[in-house]
Amino acid sequence: MKRPLLFILAAVFLFLASQVLSPAVFAQEITGLRVFDTPGDGGESVTLEWEGGAPGAILIMRSASKGGPFEEVGTAFGIDGSYQDYVEAGIAYYYQISYQLGAEGYLTAQVGPAIAKSNWFRTYRVNALILAALMFGLVLYYINAAKRGKELYIRRIAGISAIDEAVGRATEMGKKIMYIPGIMSISDIQTIASLSILSHVARQTAIYGADIEVPNKDPLTFTAARETVKQAYMEAGRPDQFKEEMVTYITYDQFAYAAAVTGKMVRERPATNFLIGYFFAESLILAETGQSTGAIQIAGTAAPTQLPFFVTTCDYTLMGEELYAASAYLSREPNLLGSIKAQDVTKALIIITVSVGIVEYFFGSSVIKDFLVAR
Amino acid sequence: MRRTIPLALTFIVGLYPILAFFVPDVRIAHANDWLDEALVIVAAFALPLGTVNVIMTNTSKLKKKARGWQYSIVLLAGLAIMAIYGLIGGTGVDPKFQWMFVNMVSPLQSTMFALLSFYVASAAYRAFRARNVEATILLIAAIIVMMGRIPFGDMITGGRMTPLSEWIMSIPNAAAQRGIIIGAALGAASMSIRIILGIETTYLGSGKD
Amino acid sequence: MNAKKLLNVDRRVIYLLVAIGALIPIIRPIGLPTVPTEPVWKLFNKIEELGPDDAVIISFDYGPSSEPELNPMAQAILRHCFARRVKVLVMALFPLGGVNMAIDQLDGIADEFEGLEYGVDYVNLGYKDGAQAAMKRMDISIQALFPTDVNGDPVDDMPVMTGARNYDDISVVISLATGIIGEYWVNLVNAQFGVPVAVGCTAVSAPKYYAYLRAGQMMSMLGGLKGGSEYEKLLVDKYDFARELYEEPDVKARSAMAGMDVQSIVHMIIIFFIIFGNAMYFLMKKQEKEEKER
Repeated sequence: MKRPLLFILAAVFLFLASQVLSPAVFAQEITGLRVFDTPGDGGESVTLEWEGGAPGAILIMRSASKGGPFEEVGTAFGIDGSYQDYVEAGIAYYYQISYQLGAEGYLTAQVGPAIAKSNWFRTYRVNALILAALMFGLVLYYINAAKRGKELYIRRIAGISAIDEAVGRATEMGKKIMYIPGIMSISDIQTIASLSILSHVARQTAIYGADIEVPNKDPLTFTAARETVKQAYMEAGRPDQFKEEMVTYITYDQFAYAAAVTGKMVRERPATNFLIGYFFAESLILAETGQSTGAIQIAGTAAPTQLPFFVTTCDYTLMGEELYAASAYLSREPNLLGSIKAQDVTKALIIITVSVGIVEYFFGSSVIKDFLVAR
Repeated sequence: MRRTIPLALTFIVGLYPILAFFVPDVRIAHANDWLDEALVIVAAFALPLGTVNVIMTNTSKLKKKARGWQYSIVLLAGLAIMAIYGLIGGTGVDPKFQWMFVNMVSPLQSTMFALLSFYVASAAYRAFRARNVEATILLIAAIIVMMGRIPFGDMITGGRMTPLSEWIMSIPNAAAQRGIIIGAALGAASMSIRIILGIETTYLGSGKD
Repeated sequence: MNAKKLLNVDRRVIYLLVAIGALIPIIRPIGLPTVPTEPVWKLFNKIEELGPDDAVIISFDYGPSSEPELNPMAQAILRHCFARRVKVLVMALFPLGGVNMAIDQLDGIADEFEGLEYGVDYVNLGYKDGAQAAMKRMDISIQALFPTDVNGDPVDDMPVMTGARNYDDISVVISLATGIIGEYWVNLVNAQFGVPVAVGCTAVSAPKYYAYLRAGQMMSMLGGLKGGSEYEKLLVDKYDFARELYEEPDVKARSAMAGMDVQSIVHMIIIFFIIFGNAMYFLMKKQEKEEKER
């Protein structure tokens, strides 16, 4: 009984020793030097890999012709390393490595040729492709389901439900509605979401005969907002009520814009303020000034840093994805509802994956974590 | 046709950056860079539209002697002077432009930013009420973080406030921020898919043809 | 005492007290102590490891509105880099004033150090549009993105660019950021190219950046005026020149450490109002209950 146990102990000891005393710990001659086209890139680089080496600097030498002359192109550090060299595509390169082991200098045999070639897929982004395909597939599935008549439930979003009430209040008081579509350009998705809500608000103001003002910070958003409001008035059957002065451009400067809009709020005292879109530091200035004038305020943003300011100063706040769900919520179109459902299912899958990943990590494995790393 | 062309353009231009994200080929990357530059150029063309609107609105105010017309003179004068010196400077920075920027624009912007401190105080006074358990937890966390960001906190608690404040920021706050960021990112992705596929068309002015 | 009336105190009273609280430490500085925290230490230690053979990028990604918060940390970091003779590549990716901030800070700070030469030890590469596209290009070549400096002179001939061809030659990227550009540096440059990124941000953005700090995507974060004051403290403790410099009235008045006096008083006023507001709220509830019972 003792002898087998001794053999097992010896084997375990030798295994542990091999890990501790592995070549990675001690400096040794470089072997296995190889160079190849970097996978998954656009033909910008080649990669060198080797085993062995020394803790000090390793000089990477390159030549465009076999046999030299070689020139130094970079340095690498560490044992069992790699180096990515940015080169011209289509040209054959040869490499050598120069390094020190103690007092002696070493030069490896040359390797090559390696030609940088453009690849057709970034293999390190296959995780993103899978996730994107999954979400895309879910969107198409649920849109199809909605078109076939399946009931898709969206919970009540207080801020959006309050829009009609807010417009009605402004009409009763005979005061205007101020709609601020954020400070970013139309290229930002939050601005597009804001314009979809503006379309609904403008249609309501046209129907009720209320006054609306849309001051803009970005010129592209200004042109898009003007078209949106004009189209909304036409759809409501009140094209004559639309006035170009409803949608104005103020200035591109963030705080000059905030100063102008807060000045308008204090002078004209709108009954309702909508602050929907992407905001930065001016969010609290706008919202607090609006609060001080007694206006009902509905805000919406997906900027996490500004949400606390809106929550404390506005009556209703659309947080994060609620902003993006607004157009689906307002129109109740099956196509749009289907995409919201798909988004929710994707979120549920992410929650499950993250939870499983956390449990897995506690047990010493990191398969899911490594798979999800973004590059 | 009026809606078909924009929708088709949206589809092609929307899919292209996604393609460039996965395909590293230089030709696709160049085209993607061209799209980024095109956006900058389109925005630059939109800027005169906005500037013309500002000039027209304010000259109209001047003509009608509407309320606040004096401020329109200041605005138009500032616009003209900064534009002239900015153009004189070319791609470099004209010293007079730099002087105006440092001594006029910069202090004005800093002043507006400084208003936040007053508004934070009044918003905090109004909003931080211990109405229920969650509000009380929020209130206590806010006080700890505020105390942790100033030397008084450590002076009163013997150095414990800063680590506690850092813990609140690093753990519960970071977790909440991540949740919001992930949710918002999914919402943005869903909205982007709708726009690319032409399902979401409200930004074009209408949901109906 | 009418709790309801006190609860609805005119906001101008709050504004007045905040204004007085901000003015007093400016007129009569208190000199409160600063204790550096770990996120700030990390950047300081990183630059301490660097020397004349190393290069860093400092990106001025903020405008005049964030100047009071970010200028002090910009100055402290520049002074630290220049003291260690680290090569500094200054740039701006923020469209509204980033390049003006860079010009304003760089020349003034460089003049404090003898023997520093523009083009040899540091360079201002100016502003480049399209933040993310610009960041991607620097992985291949910084010179291709910035062929000339802010004055229009070609950078090819400048010795400072010899050891700073692309991200491989950069030891750390320090983004002094307002808004979203700091996130771009972290998500793009660190995640895709592995370059260490440190962000100096406004206090309002700091909560968002903690997620990146915890994930290891950012190596360091200087949050608002407090972050700036901590960096100044580290600099003053380590270097005699900094200790003397920050004693000069003009420099001291504009430093983050002086600003912390104001921040401390205003924070205490806000905390007082929160506690006072809650006390009045509970008193009002009690008074209403007593009235009902009567």
